[in-house]
Amino acid sequence: MPEKAAHYLAPDQTHPEPISPYETKLSGSIMEVFGRGTHDLPGLIAGLNELGLHAPDGQAWNEHNFRAEMRRLGD
Amino acid sequence: MTTATTSAPTATGGPKKRAVGVRKDMTAADIAATGLRDRWYPILPSRMVRPGESKKVTRLSVDWVLFRDPRGTVHMLEDRCPHRSAPLSVGQHLGDRLACKYHGVQVDGSGTVVSVPGMPGCALEGKQATVSLQVVEAADTIFAFVPLTRDSEPTPFVLPDRLTDEAVSWFPNFAEWAGPWRFYMDNVLDPMHGAFLHRDSHSMFGGDTSARFRIRETDRGFFFEKTDQVGVNFDWVEYVRGSMDYVDLEIPYAPNAGPGGVFGIVGMATPIDADNSAIFHWRTRRVAGWEREVWRFLYRTRLEARHWEVLEQDREVLEALAADADHEEHLYQHDLGVSRIRRIYRADAKKQAAILAGAPV
Ligand code: FES
Ligand SMILES: [Fe+2]
Repeated sequence: MPEKAAHYLAPDQTHPEPISPYETKLSGSIMEVFGRGTHDLPGLIAGLNELGLHAPDGQAWNEHNFRAEMRRLGD
Repeated sequence: MTTATTSAPTATGGPKKRAVGVRKDMTAADIAATGLRDRWYPILPSRMVRPGESKKVTRLSVDWVLFRDPRGTVHMLEDRCPHRSAPLSVGQHLGDRLACKYHGVQVDGSGTVVSVPGMPGCALEGKQATVSLQVVEAADTIFAFVPLTRDSEPTPFVLPDRLTDEAVSWFPNFAEWAGPWRFYMDNVLDPMHGAFLHRDSHSMFGGDTSARFRIRETDRGFFFEKTDQVGVNFDWVEYVRGSMDYVDLEIPYAPNAGPGGVFGIVGMATPIDADNSAIFHWRTRRVAGWEREVWRFLYRTRLEARHWEVLEQDREVLEALAADADHEEHLYQHDLGVSRIRRIYRADAKKQAAILAGAPV
């Protein structure tokens, strides 16, 4: 099928820029905490801090800086 | 009986007509192959036609050109100059109009010739001579009403429920597949493939590999659902025929996708031509507050790739199917949904062919 080569097949349609190592680490850690069945916000934040992950300002995660970061990276 | 039922249908039903953008007669089989008319179709993601840009696409085996004017409105014309049929897409985008490269004729978004530079005052000026479709942009997507004939009245544009619900967050996804559009519909009306084809995926690893199904009629289509399992795998699908045809389904998320509702999908296929399809999905989730923010972050960084893998499994099967794969099959109980959708589309195609033939319908 000659047209096939021109077909649009793009796995990453929501992030034209490559995902940064920081985003990869953060998303992987969030899924790790969720995977343990922790599905509340305080539990998630405690889980991230226990994994030794820091907020962008070097501080521990709290609800405020976590939600701000999700909004920044998620939309 | 010796009635004259074999006489030409035009004898009772008025003049023969041609489908919009088609310059030959079409049979029911032609319509079924290249797509049913008189409905809204998703054409292209909005992001693919930027301000000042024009784009050629083929949909329902007709060539079209999309262009965005300075006010941001997208227009969709048949890609064919009214003068001597050169494609307008290779011409110049002049803001609110396209200029044909061959002899410079200018056509605006309504398909009206606004200038014939080689012969000013020519009778072609002011004539609505190029097919222009009604276009709506919604859910990050350009939709158009593809009419059967020039007399077709566009139906009101209505998005699928999930996409108009404020409580639902969504991401669009677009892909082009080298398979006929009807195979896409067969595939989504066959939920049982989830437990086999997608067995090793992030969302469809659970549940039984055998099931009994039923069809549940609704006033806008039907549900095709397992009778003995729900909320575990790809367990049901709804086919909706409103102003556009779409499927709606839900698949549970694993715990690591976090809190929030199930993963919902709205799917549509627009024929490119008889052998290729434009595939549109909206991946959705009913989530609010921080759960919404986290889901959107995870979707971008992790889940989109996983959903894409699943969709690629579907594409590989569809592209591997022979063009006549839907002949001489051996269907069983799980294929009731497939049989039903085929019957609906066969009837639609016959009806549209009869309208073109001028037969009473
Ligand atoms: S074919 Fe377009 S101007 Fe002549
Ligand atoms: Fe599938």
